[in-house]
Amino acid sequence: MVSLSKKSPEERLNICRKYYRAGFAFLPLLWLINAIWFYKQAFKVESYPQQAQIRTYVIRSAIGTLIWIIIIVAWNITFQLLRTKMGPLGDFLTFVYPRGYY
Amino acid sequence: MHRLIDDNQDSPDEMTELLKSQDNDTIIDGPERPNITNLPDVAIIQTSTDGENISSNAAATASSHSRVEAIDPQDHETTHRHRRNEQPDEQRPLNIEHEEIFKYGASHVVKLFVPVSLCMLIVIITIKTTSSYTPGGATWAYTPFTEDKSTNTQRILFSLANTFIFMGFVITATVILILLYKFKCYKIIHGWLILTTLMLLFFFLYSYFSSISASLNRPIDMITICFITWNIGAVGMFCIHWKGPLPVQQAYLIFMSALLALVFYKFLPDWTGWLILGVISIWDLIAVLCPKGPLRILVETAHERGEQIFPALIYSSTMVYMVTAVDPPPSEPQFAPDNINTNIAVNVDETLNEEQRNQRAAIRNNNARRQLIPRSDVPQTATRREPARYVVERSNSPVIDDDDDDEKGVKLGLGDFIFYSILLAKASALGDWNVTIACYVSLLIGLCLTLLLLAIIRKALPALPISITFGLVLYFSTVYIIGPFSAELNLGQVFI
Repeated sequence: MVSLSKKSPEERLNICRKYYRAGFAFLPLLWLINAIWFYKQAFKVESYPQQAQIRTYVIRSAIGTLIWIIIIVAWNITFQLLRTKMGPLGDFLTFVYPRGYY
Repeated sequence: MHRLIDDNQDSPDEMTELLKSQDNDTIIDGPERPNITNLPDVAIIQTSTDGENISSNAAATASSHSRVEAIDPQDHETTHRHRRNEQPDEQRPLNIEHEEIFKYGASHVVKLFVPVSLCMLIVIITIKTTSSYTPGGATWAYTPFTEDKSTNTQRILFSLANTFIFMGFVITATVILILLYKFKCYKIIHGWLILTTLMLLFFFLYSYFSSISASLNRPIDMITICFITWNIGAVGMFCIHWKGPLPVQQAYLIFMSALLALVFYKFLPDWTGWLILGVISIWDLIAVLCPKGPLRILVETAHERGEQIFPALIYSSTMVYMVTAVDPPPSEPQFAPDNINTNIAVNVDETLNEEQRNQRAAIRNNNARRQLIPRSDVPQTATRREPARYVVERSNSPVIDDDDDDEKGVKLGLGDFIFYSILLAKASALGDWNVTIACYVSLLIGLCLTLLLLAIIRKALPALPISITFGLVLYFSTVYIIGPFSAELNLGQVFI
């Protein structure tokens, strides 16, 4: 919705910072979008004073996204493997029970 | 139109004027509204407090997108529009302009096809793969009569009753919206929109995932689902109500329209659905074009106040604009001052244009900006929301500049997405691809015609009637006439 090139550098920094901070609320998707959106700004554009800050935010967002992806994948693998063996906890955590086929 | 003729002494030739205005109209510029506060409003969703089952509550809450005219407050600061010279309008090489304009205009119309098609695709794929989105489930608060009646006459009567009740909700919602807008209760409108989007993004997304998971038949755990819903919902709130990258925002708008269309499709009984489609198109026509129509009043009020039209969501092919109708005319001119060729359509830009005429450096083209403004949807707190209908409105906007490409764009209201998708979903329910494709093509052609009409008439236009009429006509004719006809031809091995 917004074109970053039309914004002043302070605003860009502001947006980047807000996305970065909000991503701490269990929102890796926000970090991912932050990293992708500001990637060009951080690395490919002529430098301006706020660029260093934006760069740190982008890098940290990318790292955060990776960490979250690892966590999610690990959890899902664990769940799929151990679902039937976990007893009542497994059933409680299941969102959808697969139907049997007939 | 009249203004154009009055002011424009450069092109006495009406034909040229028409042509030029047509050219201008086909250009769609993104709105650059200065200093609009960031009150993006999104679809309005109302939570129903009725005690029906959850799905009907969900259905009740869906639906109405308020119209949105999104204007990005940030972008007007650095517009680089340049304008053509006012004086020599007739001296401009018309050919070059026309080429430029046509090329520009056509590509933008096509850019509008992509999101509409995507929305329909999502809806149809979901319907085909999951079984829980088929109609006939729970009853809805808005269409309380069921259609399981013995005779056809009874069925029609009850469908009509359903339709009128539904339309009653829509009209009430629209009127309340207009009243709220007239009395400047912007905060209420804004809060309402936020609530709606919240509802839509989280609750409907959750039920959507449950349907998808059920149809996939794979066990997914609650934690992952909650996590995914929380992520998608929160990012959606960010992108829609605040700032976000354009493609992400467009994707969210398309997806939300698809969700709403699915909910509608699920809860509308069969015949009621067709009747509602027809009646809503007529309502669209009336509300936008009649002098006392509510949407027209809304547009004119906004215009008088020099504000943005009621905040809502509009899908734009290049830029999504969020509008908040709170601030007085912005200090910075967004639009170039009109030159004599400027069209004054029913839009908010007019006042701005005149005020800022002296401040603009360049002279803008008479590119009309097409806005599809959703209409009617003002959800009430106690009831649900009606889907927004969209009006196509033109305004003049500045120009064609390569740098500004990303600011220009075609805008279409989300209500149009929703109703087109509903039509197509109902068409595909038969399972016959002939019908589905016929309806799809007719919808797109209707959209083209509407945009073309917009270029000619340059006033607020409803985007629903033409497409829905074509769609309906083609659906019924294909099902009852063309289908059996081609089947017979096939049997007889006669090729046309």
